[in-house]
Amino acid sequence: MSKFQDYEAYLPASGQYKLLPFKFDRLNDKEYILTNLAGEFQVVSAEQLESLIEHRLTPEQPEYADLRARHFIYESNERAPLELLALKLRTKLARLANFTNLHIFVITLRCDHSCPYCQVSRQSEDKATYDMTRESADRALNFVFRSPSPALKFEFQGGEPLLNFDLIKYIVLQAETRNQGLGRDIQFVIATTLSLLTDDILEFCKEHRIILSSSLDGPEDLHNQNRPRPGRNSHQKFVEGLERARLALGFDQVSALMTTTEHSLPRVKEIIDEYLRLGFQGIFLRALSPYGFAIKTKKFMAYDAERWLEFYKQGLDYIIELNKASINFTEHYAALILAKMLTSTDPGFVDLMNPSGAGIAAIVFNYDGAVYASDESRMLAEMGDQTFRLGHLAENTYEEIILSDKLLDALEDTFTLSVPMCSDCAFEPYCGAEPVYHHAIHKDMVARKPESAFCKRNMAIFKYLIERMRSDEQVKRIFLGWANKC
Amino acid sequence: MPVSVLLTFDEQAYCVEAIQKAAYRSMNSLVADIAIRDRQIQCTLHPALGRSDSAFDLAVQEFKKEVLDQQLRLKIKAETEPVRNLILSIAFSRTGLQGGE
Repeated sequence: MSKFQDYEAYLPASGQYKLLPFKFDRLNDKEYILTNLAGEFQVVSAEQLESLIEHRLTPEQPEYADLRARHFIYESNERAPLELLALKLRTKLARLANFTNLHIFVITLRCDHSCPYCQVSRQSEDKATYDMTRESADRALNFVFRSPSPALKFEFQGGEPLLNFDLIKYIVLQAETRNQGLGRDIQFVIATTLSLLTDDILEFCKEHRIILSSSLDGPEDLHNQNRPRPGRNSHQKFVEGLERARLALGFDQVSALMTTTEHSLPRVKEIIDEYLRLGFQGIFLRALSPYGFAIKTKKFMAYDAERWLEFYKQGLDYIIELNKASINFTEHYAALILAKMLTSTDPGFVDLMNPSGAGIAAIVFNYDGAVYASDESRMLAEMGDQTFRLGHLAENTYEEIILSDKLLDALEDTFTLSVPMCSDCAFEPYCGAEPVYHHAIHKDMVARKPESAFCKRNMAIFKYLIERMRSDEQVKRIFLGWANKC
Repeated sequence: MPVSVLLTFDEQAYCVEAIQKAAYRSMNSLVADIAIRDRQIQCTLHPALGRSDSAFDLAVQEFKKEVLDQQLRLKIKAETEPVRNLILSIAFSRTGLQGGE
């Protein structure tokens, strides 16, 4: 007589499983994607979906084990799957409890460039009008240190913030002094074109471990066309500044962001090649932001979501081929999404957060003391739309600003789990609320999602990433590498 | 200009909420009038402005599939509501974020 029962004795009776909460959407004509509360996904056929919901799946079917492992079903006597799913959900949302991390200081609106897509910069020499004052900086510092976040990121923006570098120095030194004894993890970033770098500036940056974030739009002619400045040498200035900064601060202490214009659309491979040539290990293929001068000059209307998606997919495919050829290069937008899809963490990218990251993940102190919910909010304000102006450093307390109806209403009204279409969408765990974008384009923070280019663009990217992973095991390994770097 | 299409759904098999949600998702390609008569949900579909005959035909097919999807979503939502609430309560049980007595 055997000491053990037969294998079948341990199997649950057919149809005895229970469903865990999940959402689904059509991935293509034949298949559905299912996502659970923590964003884990599984692709099934239409027949399998029906069997799953009708409790007709049996443990012998291969998808049964996958669905059970990924927390779409559990068996009647089990408690562990509920605990595990709860733990994953709590991990995904852990960032929320830390509250605002990114604090953007708009040091000046003055700039030496005159980019047609820029929303805010001024060609003025008038320091008094367009520079932040020490008084405003002190008030902003008071505000920053009210955040409960154990990590505080100070990002200096403009215009060209190096035109008011004395104020950057003041804020950095003040922040370090205030942080003595508090032990917060403080990081400083300057968003700069690199055209005005000096040895003194680099020395200060090195001493205080300041990272430089710059802009590179592609090959020389494209970059110079997108980013005009006197002398028409924007690209040359960037390359010279990049070399100096890397030498002084370290190779990985300088990053670059690109802006897509209609001129970029036919040239994605050349743009990526330029990033490679200059030694960058990744690129963020961004859509043109629809704010400010970009709308006024109709630059935003010059291409639609379909055309941008074509650009994006072509670029992503090229980057995948580079990786297959052992060239380590990341597309950062995909990496952010893949981290949401393939890991239990949320990288906290403001555009893809729910509740929206406006105000509670990032906040902006404008040069004039006004406080905005996001960088895009202040750009909107430059067009005369003050919807996301939360208050003023000289007039309002921290509590008045953070608890303002303007901020809380925007977060609550656009919460994706209660927004039409988003609440049912399988891709919701990967997406974001984006009240500022939808307000800017649709004059409605929620907007009709079937008409939203943000929705269309992101849904297409989510599907494309999943399709690429499923059809090629090598791509899946590359994507896993990107996801775990975030 | 394509003509309208009348679809009828049995109220015992379909929930009006599922049809409303399908209509919302399809608003880019068609416009729906929804009415209930004699336990039948009557749904008149009109093409959105500028839609061709073939595009509208396709949109009607998609709408039918979407109604079925929405009906299944409601079924899952109802069946998993208690466990969803349980998981959420477990998830936040040690965060200190709950309101005190």
